[in-house]
Amino acid sequence: MRPGRIALWVLAALTAVYLVLPVFIVIPTSFSASSFLEFPPKEWSGRWYENFFTDPVWLDSALASLRVAVLVTLLSLVLGTAAALGMVRGRYRLRALVSGLVMAPVLVPYVIVGLAVYATFLELGLTQTTLGFVLVHTALAVPYVVITVSSSLVSFDRRLEQAAMSLGAGPVSTFARVTLPLIAPGLAGGAVFAFVTSFDEVVTGVFLSGPDLTTLPVQMWSGVRVQIDPTVAAVSTMLLLVTLAVFATAGLLRRRKS
Amino acid sequence: MTGAVDVRAVTKRYPGSLALDEVSLHVAAGEFMTLLGSSGSGKSTLLNVVAGFTEPTSGSVLVDDADITGVPPHRRELGMVFQHYALFPHMNVFENVAFPLRRRKVRGAELRRRVGDALEVVELGALGERRPAQLSGGQQQRVALARAIVFQPRVLLMDEPLGALDKRLREQLQLEIKRLHRELGITFVFVTHDQEEALTMSDRVALLREGRIVQVGTPQELYETPASRYVAEFLGESNLLDEDGGLLLVRPQHLRIGPPDGPGLRAVVREVIYVGGGLRIEVERPGGQRLVARTTVRPEELPRPGDEVVAHWSEHDSVNVPA
Repeated sequence: MRPGRIALWVLAALTAVYLVLPVFIVIPTSFSASSFLEFPPKEWSGRWYENFFTDPVWLDSALASLRVAVLVTLLSLVLGTAAALGMVRGRYRLRALVSGLVMAPVLVPYVIVGLAVYATFLELGLTQTTLGFVLVHTALAVPYVVITVSSSLVSFDRRLEQAAMSLGAGPVSTFARVTLPLIAPGLAGGAVFAFVTSFDEVVTGVFLSGPDLTTLPVQMWSGVRVQIDPTVAAVSTMLLLVTLAVFATAGLLRRRKS
Repeated sequence: MTGAVDVRAVTKRYPGSLALDEVSLHVAAGEFMTLLGSSGSGKSTLLNVVAGFTEPTSGSVLVDDADITGVPPHRRELGMVFQHYALFPHMNVFENVAFPLRRRKVRGAELRRRVGDALEVVELGALGERRPAQLSGGQQQRVALARAIVFQPRVLLMDEPLGALDKRLREQLQLEIKRLHRELGITFVFVTHDQEEALTMSDRVALLREGRIVQVGTPQELYETPASRYVAEFLGESNLLDEDGGLLLVRPQHLRIGPPDGPGLRAVVREVIYVGGGLRIEVERPGGQRLVARTTVRPEELPRPGDEVVAHWSEHDSVNVPA
């Protein structure tokens, strides 16, 4: 191997290590027997995993996060797909404006979104509610769905829809049997991003959480801030596995499609 | 027989252009009608108006005397074949052909029988399990044909269906489409820019130019008695001669080249090309106009470029064309 290639390999390896380094810290830490975050652990134990599954505070926040993320995924798929259809296929004057508005939530800093939402939702009684979280997270997730579905729609051959119509399929049937199956990879990608966006979200979550409803990332945040609870490491490890599983499934589905 | 199509004064205006200008056309039930024209002539727009994909600015479309102008495409019961096949890539051949039947609630044994029959008609009986991507272009177009006829539409619309195929395959499918037309007995409306294809396949041809129909008639009528210079030049090779303010058309196979001392138009031979079984002789008249003669008989003495000759023809082989 030429020296240039060796250098490239070393650089790539270092970058990879750098990117996954937190994982190498977090996973061993989660198996520590100590009551503090400790690395490397002196003694091994599964007590923090046990703590997670027995402590209602942790379980409730995990279930809340899961519930919110699933609802956000469904809602943002519907809204995002509709928006993508309108943005890709619509022929109207304010198309650029509509695109801008739809994409705005990812451009505005989350802190500002969180603050604005907090002020409004407090008055409406939507803080610490599933509905409140779903509404905010959906706004943050829709742009990702729009992006992935739009790219599927751009490459979609509209003559297939004309063919379906000429063969007797009405608009609903055409969409369900021809358009939707063919843009499904875009929807799957959007769903993964939407789920992760919601499940991972801390900033607006901090504003909206409280004793009635706290999402998992916010619980983890206070787990570190308020008391130093190694359960955080255990949760992190499990989240890592969940995320890996989601992406692996999406990847496998895509491979099977093509 | 059913499937008569009536296009009445259809106009389609786009911002800044007129795609169809008061086009009227009657297609008889069971007829093979070809819409012929170069790109931008409006032939595809006209087909799309009949199919229901394009809404006319004014005018109406009738099938068997029923006005279908505002009827959405999926309720028109017209079969359609597209240039790039438009097969559903996520379904196998069987499901593609079954698609229109499933929309009509055909199920079970009858569904299988009818799909099987349609695939037999296009000679693809054994390929039901394949995906479109696993088929050749010709096979894909046959699947598209089977899918368009399986629900027994009254009219089959075809938008340059052979345009994406190579010459030999195209000629083979031309014959098959003709056979299909004979066997099904339904009305075919066929769009093409290829004049040879139009002449070989059609009962009648409508030649379009800039959103208007310039002539409708049998291939023979269009070829032998063109209504204008444009028609004469669009269909086949032609020699057009100015004569007392009118035009005289002599087709290359009727033009003869003789020795310079005979009667006829004086000209100089420019090119002599051997074309499979015959000769194509191009001569130039004093004013610079070129004339083409085709002959299958080898003349006793082969004219050579530069030779002085005369071009002549029998009176009954020439046609007056309105200027």
